[in-house]
Amino acid sequence: MLNKKSLKFTIIDMAVIIFVITAIGLFFSRMSTTLDYKWEWGAIPSYFFFWDAVTGELKANILILGFVTTVKLSFWATLIGFLLGTLSGIMGAKGSFEQRFVSRIYVETIRNIPSLVLVIIFYYFVSSQFLDALYLDQWLRSSSQTVQQIIGLLFSSPDQINAFLSAIIALGIYEGAYVSEIVRGGIISIPDGQWEASLSIGLSRQKTFLLVILPQTLRKVAFPLAGQFISTIKDSAIVSVISIQELTFQGMELMAATFLTFEIWITITFLYFILTFSLSQSVAFFEKKYALK
Amino acid sequence: MKKILWLSILFLLILGGTSVAQESIIETIQKQGVIRVGMSTFVPWAMKDKKGNLVGFEIDVARKLADDMGVKIEFVPTAWSGIIPALLTGKFDVIIGGMGITPKRNLKVNFTIPYDYSGMSMVAHKVRAKGFTSLDDFNKKDVSVAARMGTTAEQAARKYMPNATLKLFENEGQALQELNLGRVHAVVSSAPMPIFHALKYPDKLFVPLKENFTREPIGFAIRKGDHDALNYLNNWVLNMHAQGFLKEKKAYWFESRKWEDLVK
Repeated sequence: MLNKKSLKFTIIDMAVIIFVITAIGLFFSRMSTTLDYKWEWGAIPSYFFFWDAVTGELKANILILGFVTTVKLSFWATLIGFLLGTLSGIMGAKGSFEQRFVSRIYVETIRNIPSLVLVIIFYYFVSSQFLDALYLDQWLRSSSQTVQQIIGLLFSSPDQINAFLSAIIALGIYEGAYVSEIVRGGIISIPDGQWEASLSIGLSRQKTFLLVILPQTLRKVAFPLAGQFISTIKDSAIVSVISIQELTFQGMELMAATFLTFEIWITITFLYFILTFSLSQSVAFFEKKYALK
Repeated sequence: MKKILWLSILFLLILGGTSVAQESIIETIQKQGVIRVGMSTFVPWAMKDKKGNLVGFEIDVARKLADDMGVKIEFVPTAWSGIIPALLTGKFDVIIGGMGITPKRNLKVNFTIPYDYSGMSMVAHKVRAKGFTSLDDFNKKDVSVAARMGTTAEQAARKYMPNATLKLFENEGQALQELNLGRVHAVVSSAPMPIFHALKYPDKLFVPLKENFTREPIGFAIRKGDHDALNYLNNWVLNMHAQGFLKEKKAYWFESRKWEDLVK
């Protein structure tokens, strides 16, 4: 490394620190004087866990349940987005004219409509035509306890299954468009020399792509993809509009019931932050470790 | 903006026609052994208690209904502004959510006979709305009033205070927050919530009007064209009135505050 970061503490650093401290101080002093807000943090922990007096067990309460739903939601949406995006990205980079056309239409349509609109359209039109017609919820209700538990662990309970599925599909489609662009960019960025070299040693086009180009691409796009997946977690808050009981929705329900507006928003922000920050830090760690030299 | 979105959804639904089964929901509920009820959090109609269970007046009514039908109950908590489109697209069977029967809503859904009456009330900021005692005091250009989006509170505010600036929020908590911060003069909402809220912050808020300024019937909402279900639910409501069940529940949730410990 040529330009090593300077560790000297300058006057600018000092100014920045003072500015941040004043801003925080000002925020809290305004909070207490102008807003005259009664803080009631006491009740918040019980919305994470509570002691069930009947069974004497420690049980997860709505904020934790919402948090878990957010994680499940992000996981499945990421998986769908990855599969869809990789397929569309490969088609967009190396496909025939028709394939590139389809990929382009998919990416441009999805990237140019707000995710909120996509989720709502999917829930009210697509899901009520297809998912509801499958009678999945009825099948689940009549299935055995074990099946219900497994599905509940992986997806959601029978009463939410259709909404949950339409949410992960809509989110997956949305994220897929961004993944597609990342993958397409990755494939295009592999120098032509790689193609020429492997074709000249007698590999077919397909083998060249699978054995030479794709592995290099995956390594290149791994970290941008990880960033996209972290943003899926944040985007998942949008499905609160179709009443998926994820973190934001649960928080809003709680606010409607208790009127502890600021306490709950701050708690939710903190929960999202822990999730995304720890993920982005671990991505940064691996990026350093496995960086392309 | 959001309202336009919901309205356009509704429009598209009507245009496209939905594939809702022709069979009465009474039969499907019996067959599936479960009734799906759409609701939204409104204190004290429906809310989550400390253990994450739903409690409230509507919840008691809905549970009793499921009990009498001999089926299980599933609540589908739904954002209030999207609750009618959700009913029309079959996300649940019936709305039991303190929905006021209005001619406009009635064009889209069928209502049962009223199982309850509610009225609009107001809670106001002591400094900002000093000396305000009538609707006329609030009906001025420089007065701002907050309400929850898509509710009859919104309609009442528009009708009785057309000159005041109306601020709409997705849920009650946000509207009350705005009031506590003194950014609006008053919040309009169904009684008894405004009175409870004024009691909670007696040094800051007060109830300007002695009585509710509207009286609205509350009914169950179901999809149109289901006469069997309408007949069943109407008679169920008549029965519950006769048995005194509704009166008893109303006294507990609206006139007492015994339930407060459950929630916070």
